[in-house]
Amino acid sequence: MARTKRRMVLKFPVETVDEPITYNLIREFDVLINILNADITHGREGNLLIEMAGEKGKVQKALAYLESKKVVISPVVKTILFNESECIHCGACSSVCFPEALMMDPASRELQFSPDKCMACELCIKACPLGLFELNFGVN
Amino acid sequence: MPVKKSFQEINEKIKKGKAVVLTAEEVAAMGRDHSPAEVAEKVDVVTTATFGPMCSSGMFINTGHATPPIRMEKASLNGVPVFSGIAAVDLYIGATENHPEDPAYGGAHVIEELIAGKDVELVAHAKGTDCYPLKNIKTSINRSNINEMLMFNPRNAYQNYPVAVNTSDRIKYTYMGSLLPRLGNANYSTSGELSPLLNDPEMRTIGIGTRIFLGGTTGYISWYGTQFKTDAEVNEHGVPVSNAATLAVIGDASAMSPEYIKAAYYEKYGVSMFVGIGVPIPVLDEEMASRVMIRNEQITTRIIDYSDPDHPELGRTNYRELMTGEIEFRQKKIKTGSLSSIYKARKIADILKIQISEGSFLLTEPLEHFPMGKGLNSLEIRSQ
Repeated sequence: MARTKRRMVLKFPVETVDEPITYNLIREFDVLINILNADITHGREGNLLIEMAGEKGKVQKALAYLESKKVVISPVVKTILFNESECIHCGACSSVCFPEALMMDPASRELQFSPDKCMACELCIKACPLGLFELNFGVN
Repeated sequence: MPVKKSFQEINEKIKKGKAVVLTAEEVAAMGRDHSPAEVAEKVDVVTTATFGPMCSSGMFINTGHATPPIRMEKASLNGVPVFSGIAAVDLYIGATENHPEDPAYGGAHVIEELIAGKDVELVAHAKGTDCYPLKNIKTSINRSNINEMLMFNPRNAYQNYPVAVNTSDRIKYTYMGSLLPRLGNANYSTSGELSPLLNDPEMRTIGIGTRIFLGGTTGYISWYGTQFKTDAEVNEHGVPVSNAATLAVIGDASAMSPEYIKAAYYEKYGVSMFVGIGVPIPVLDEEMASRVMIRNEQITTRIIDYSDPDHPELGRTNYRELMTGEIEFRQKKIKTGSLSSIYKARKIADILKIQISEGSFLLTEPLEHFPMGKGLNSLEIRSQ
């Protein structure tokens, strides 16, 4: 069975914020959920940036379940490309990176980029004095 | 007997390959379990370094004369205007000069390209004189077909610098990088305990004629830098708590490397240039030992609000806190970012350490010391 991995932002309407949707996805649909960023407050609309992985059929069923719960699914196709070999490891990008995809190693003082955590907020593009980041609109 | 060593004695040891050389970080760590007297006894030289954006930088070039000759009165390199108000074919490329149509390209990029050996387009105009008849020229130059490339930076290696924050509701793009609204981040720009002028805050061993590492080769301190300030407030460890002393430096850019000279562009601010500088400090006595043993937590710096044009001080912190990646300020955890590269500064300090240990880099005693108690003027706006 073919497997798939997708990154998406889930927008929860007020009425579903209190439901254990992530738990259901994992338990009922047997998909792997990696929460990359969460902004959810009870009684208010919430956003969750996740990566969903699993067998194709199971992922499709999981997505259908989310839609039935009126969760708005926006696939994340933007990614950030980093020209790492030219990096001088200053750290100007790390202070604007909230998902902590760009972090300074405290011992080696080298910049570490973890693309998995990147939300493609684009703040690093303007923060890098060497212009080493660019936006990629490639198909996910 | 207290330890006393002269520059000459230390140089003799260097020539024999017997000098003990440590980087400023290594000696700071050693200071945890050694007294200044023990450090003075054991260590001869400490290498310091910085690699940060330094706007007040630039390079003189002499292009050589064409036939027929031209007295360049208006000139550009790759479209970036350069200063030609000196002799016929002498030009000064200011690092922050912008390309008129491309705000992200400027003098620093031209300098980096020339250092890297690339071809750069030269366009110049003149009125034409009896001795310099040519009126227009368009050609390409590179490192090997021009005469000199002389880097001369009027203000580098700031002794300490404030941390920049933004309390307004909008992102601010500054020379201290992107400052996020409502204290969203804090940016600093000093290599802390590795920084040259923080290891010899009164400049007992650093002065006119000091031989240094500059941009990948050997250079010299030519003078104190512009905006030089030695009447700044100091903390209990004797280091200024804000920007104070500076250095004017000079060196042969044709021997430099793009590894240690790097063009930079800060969003909505403009072009600047990363300059790699390393300064060796001789441990002449116990007093110098106690200076070079300074640690990040002992170096205080001010937190300044860049959203207010008066740049008010909001508080203080130190480099140990800043280098953890987060400071606590006003009951908030604030992510910190450095503009200067500690990674590169360490490389420079290591190179200098190797050169001195091998005997290929000797120390120079300052020909003259810098003025103490020097303050700054500010520019008064006098209405006509």
